[in-house]
Amino acid sequence: MDARTALAPPAKSPVPGGRNLHRFANPGRFLRLSGKVLPWFSAAGLVLTLIGLGWGLFFAPADWQQGDAVRIMYVHVPFAWLASAGYVGLALCSLASLVWRHPLADLAAQEIGPVGAGATALCLATGSLWGKPMWGAWWVWDARLTSVLVLFFLYLGHVALVRAFDDPARGARAGAILALVGAVDLPIIKFSVNWWNTLHQPATITLTGAPTMYLGMLWPLFIAALGLTLGFVAVILARTRAAVMERRIRALLLAQAQREQVLPRQVGA
Amino acid sequence: MTHLTYIIAAYGLFVVVAVWFSATAWARMARARRRLAAIDPRASR
Amino acid sequence: MTRKHRRLILVLACGAGLGSAVALTLSAFRDSVAFFVSPSEIAAKAPPAGRSFRLGGLVEAGSLHRTMDGARPAATFEVTDGHATVSVHYIGILPDLFREGQGVVALGTIAPDGSFRANEVLAKHDEAYMPKEVADALKKSGHWNPAAGPPPPAATWNDMTVTGAKQAKAGG
Repeated sequence: MDARTALAPPAKSPVPGGRNLHRFANPGRFLRLSGKVLPWFSAAGLVLTLIGLGWGLFFAPADWQQGDAVRIMYVHVPFAWLASAGYVGLALCSLASLVWRHPLADLAAQEIGPVGAGATALCLATGSLWGKPMWGAWWVWDARLTSVLVLFFLYLGHVALVRAFDDPARGARAGAILALVGAVDLPIIKFSVNWWNTLHQPATITLTGAPTMYLGMLWPLFIAALGLTLGFVAVILARTRAAVMERRIRALLLAQAQREQVLPRQVGA
Repeated sequence: MTHLTYIIAAYGLFVVVAVWFSATAWARMARARRRLAAIDPRASR
Repeated sequence: MTRKHRRLILVLACGAGLGSAVALTLSAFRDSVAFFVSPSEIAAKAPPAGRSFRLGGLVEAGSLHRTMDGARPAATFEVTDGHATVSVHYIGILPDLFREGQGVVALGTIAPDGSFRANEVLAKHDEAYMPKEVADALKKSGHWNPAAGPPPPAATWNDMTVTGAKQAKAGG
């Protein structure tokens, strides 16, 4: 299975959309392209994160009510966005895997899982560290916090499920179904603060109105969020590159072992 | 700064997690590249 | 119809089915998903005495009285949602964000006299983030009384500079 998917050229698709998708499915092309952009993503991510968080930590003003505890927001909010955005990526990879049998989507989904779980854990932990001094509680079971905790468990479930099968293709199939079913949690997270009474505040930055945040706080938040997003993508790209190379190593070793098994028999005959 | 312990805990946690994810991803990539080059010198680019 | 099309339609159909099932479930359990009940909901249908629940609303301006219960701080305040009001009594330390005009969520029971005995008070933060200078300038110019309600529209203050806010305060 591994050998075939790794060595065979991408399948010709009769659907135009499918063919376009498969243009990026060639593992060799993926390695070349990702190798080119990875250093740029990593460097830009690191620089922007340092600028954004340094600005937020040392130069942005304190909040009139929260005092300096508002500075926790500069890590909490980007990771809250990344937790959801990472899951959108996971669900899209799962869709590409189930419907178009995209050969890279399984590997990308497998590598998004742990990184997304890490981002969600950071979102929950930093939120808790803000909640204790501000709300007066480390944790409450309101709809926003609970739905993000569910997202964390969905990530963990996906990480465990795709690695639970001897046949990686079956694990990927099961994981893709879990990821797509779990996507129903995303609108619940987004709208929980509007649909129900929650302790968590509603969104500050919306598409419809002016952000209810002082611009001297908004800029470092945007820069930190951009930097952390680039870093998040860079880590996923690096892990997916490693996974593609590992798959190729397995395929080559398998082919080598088969040649060595076949050859002596032919000599004997 | 007010709430300094909470701020340090939050940023400290972030640095630990970020460094761990970056370092493991980089190490895994370097190891895979080395092994691939050892098996198939043609494939290493 | 190709196999890819069939698989896409199958996935979309499953998604639609699952989505509507979850939406129906959530709307059926609407009340238990809510983290707190408002004073009007209590006025409409009072929960049984002795049953613990969460009450949420704004701390009414001018209603906060801090006292001491032995060595421990105590507080009495009114929680309102604009239509109904419930009097709350709490013994213990209030969170940092607690103030008049702020949203709070209190866990406790209704006492026989109709007041609310809280065992725990949490402060609810609003979605506005502003430096002290900007808040002071808004208060000084009369655009905002934090005890009376939420801040004015964000577009009127989010691009105010801290130095500009200081000047406005000094001038006004």
